[in-house]
Amino acid sequence: MAPSSQSLNQSAGRAIEINTGRLQRDLLIRRIGKIGLYFNPVFSFFFLWAPIAVLVVFSFNESRSVATFTGITLDWYVNIFTGVLGAESAFSTELLLDSLSNSLIIGFITTLISTVIGTMVAMSLVRSDYPGKRLLDGVLYLPVVIPEITQGISLAVFFNMLFDYWNMLTGQRLYPGLHTVVIGHVAFTISFVAVVVRARLADMNPRLEEAARDLGANEWRTFREVTFPLLLPAIIAGGLLAFTLSLDDFLVTFFTAGSGTNTLPVFVYGLLKLTVTPEINAISTIMVVASTVLIGISLSLQGRNATRG
Amino acid sequence: MAVYDIELRHLVKEFGGAERGKRGYQVRAVDDVNLQIEQGEFFALLGPSGCGKTTTLRMIAGFEHPTSGEILISGRPVQNIPAFHRPVNTVFQDYALFPHMTVFQNVLFGLRMEGTPRTVAAQRVEEALDMVKLGHLAQRKPSQLSGGQQQRVALARALVKRPAVLLLDEPLGALDLKLRKEMQLELKTMQQRVGITFIFVTHDQEEAMTMANRIAVMHNGKVLQMGTARQIYEHPGTRFVADFIGETNFIEGDLVARQAGAGTVKLPDATLIEAQLPPDWSADSGTVTLAVRPERMGIVPEGEEADMPKMPLSVLTGMLVEMNYIGTDTRYTVRLFDRLDIAVREQNVDYEENYDFRVGQTVKIFFPLASASILHRD
Repeated sequence: MAPSSQSLNQSAGRAIEINTGRLQRDLLIRRIGKIGLYFNPVFSFFFLWAPIAVLVVFSFNESRSVATFTGITLDWYVNIFTGVLGAESAFSTELLLDSLSNSLIIGFITTLISTVIGTMVAMSLVRSDYPGKRLLDGVLYLPVVIPEITQGISLAVFFNMLFDYWNMLTGQRLYPGLHTVVIGHVAFTISFVAVVVRARLADMNPRLEEAARDLGANEWRTFREVTFPLLLPAIIAGGLLAFTLSLDDFLVTFFTAGSGTNTLPVFVYGLLKLTVTPEINAISTIMVVASTVLIGISLSLQGRNATRG
Repeated sequence: MAVYDIELRHLVKEFGGAERGKRGYQVRAVDDVNLQIEQGEFFALLGPSGCGKTTTLRMIAGFEHPTSGEILISGRPVQNIPAFHRPVNTVFQDYALFPHMTVFQNVLFGLRMEGTPRTVAAQRVEEALDMVKLGHLAQRKPSQLSGGQQQRVALARALVKRPAVLLLDEPLGALDLKLRKEMQLELKTMQQRVGITFIFVTHDQEEAMTMANRIAVMHNGKVLQMGTARQIYEHPGTRFVADFIGETNFIEGDLVARQAGAGTVKLPDATLIEAQLPPDWSADSGTVTLAVRPERMGIVPEGEEADMPKMPLSVLTGMLVEMNYIGTDTRYTVRLFDRLDIAVREQNVDYEENYDFRVGQTVKIFFPLASASILHRD
């Protein structure tokens, strides 16, 4: 008989012994672990949010200095919209609204294009099979992981080259502007939309589409009546994500806008070059709130149960 | 030639290989299946998971394209007709109800795709929902229904299209045991009422025997045997079928003589046993496998042979190694030839009057000629 089964035999009917010392030690480890788990999120969130909290708090600070908090005021928010800013700066509400409207236009067009293309990419990745699909699947994440500065520079070089060739071919000179920014933004937001839509699509029961075909719906009606309505929350979520990313983007915009086209982040950066003013804090706070709301909606749409619609 | 509702001719489905452009990796999920199913039949495709039964059903529905062979629906080849043009409808294992539509909209869907006028369609949907007794839940979403109710909606959604054939893929698999038994009878009643041919896929032999007129037992992509529940249970053709349908004892022996429909088998302890031969048997000698159902055997202690019924019997001697009381029956395990364990089941009609068996004692087990069959090799 093997030694292990021998010892098993011996344990049958033996009185239970508990090592109290070891039990005490193990219970202590468990307590420490529980306390650690409780404080872990507190520390993490502190690191994440402390700088932003400071920004928000000082956007309401009465004093111009960032060193002391003297009292609450809404002056800086008012200043943004009345064009009054630190005496030395070239601020005007008109320029601010100009850059904001640029941002919104770019955001809407980017969202529209990248939502359509991103959804198509997701469909093709989940619902069909072709050579190189796995490669495409991997490359899809590239824009998510490669440094944005690389993207910005590569787009700038790309457009430069393109415009040069165009000039050689037609003699026409093209210039960067809103359109190049939109192309740049579409290029990196497609991935985000595709990833979100694909997750939902992969989660969706393929029997639902089969059921539709079984009941007499051709491929187009199956998409329109079943696939699309069930994907819609993910498509909207992906779209909101694209919109937020486009609205907040600085680097890609900076490299593709050329001179004379400002978006809100680029405009704020321009102000910052002069001095950090409380008005910048106020503008930034508004941007934080707007982005948070959009991302919140996006997340809640993604979180919806894929089988419940 | 007779026209069948469904006819499968040399149907083959291979996965992998050519489809993915890779060599060497190929699975024959369905291997030369031939079936003829008549109008109004309740037909079961029975087999363990991976035997090809679901793939066969999916080819009839049009979700998979056969590698070769023909599918005929009412005499018409359909392998190049897409699912949405075939006169068959499917009840899916997980029901596949559209989660964003109400029960009413789910059932209406198929008629909407046909372009049935709205008022006619609405009336037919109501009829279908009444038939499955769900008229009062028409405005609910599928997620607000129980499993059994969802199952009925799936049934109504398929039947409202008035298909030539209804396909059911493990329709009761997700229900608990009690509800499953209820739904088995309900499905059977419904099938008799609407008169539509039902083909259903299951791995549950009891379910197949309860509901189906005819059963095809599948294994490794092939149909091993086809027939009524009684034919398959009483005369299993192969060892796999005998083992899969109910419980069976297998005893190896040598075929020493052959008469009309029966053969004499010599067992390792030199006992001679008479057993039934399959109709298409050809060999005159060689090693064969005998199958005997546990409930077709009797058991008595050694020395009590006088209590055995007065009829021609095969009698084997062995040692009782285990005895389990399981309510309706008592199950005895008897060791033959010092190595082969045989199960014997006796009904506890009057348990108090049974012999006082003890584990370790020598016993006699007996069975009539008709209870032992010789099997084909798989």
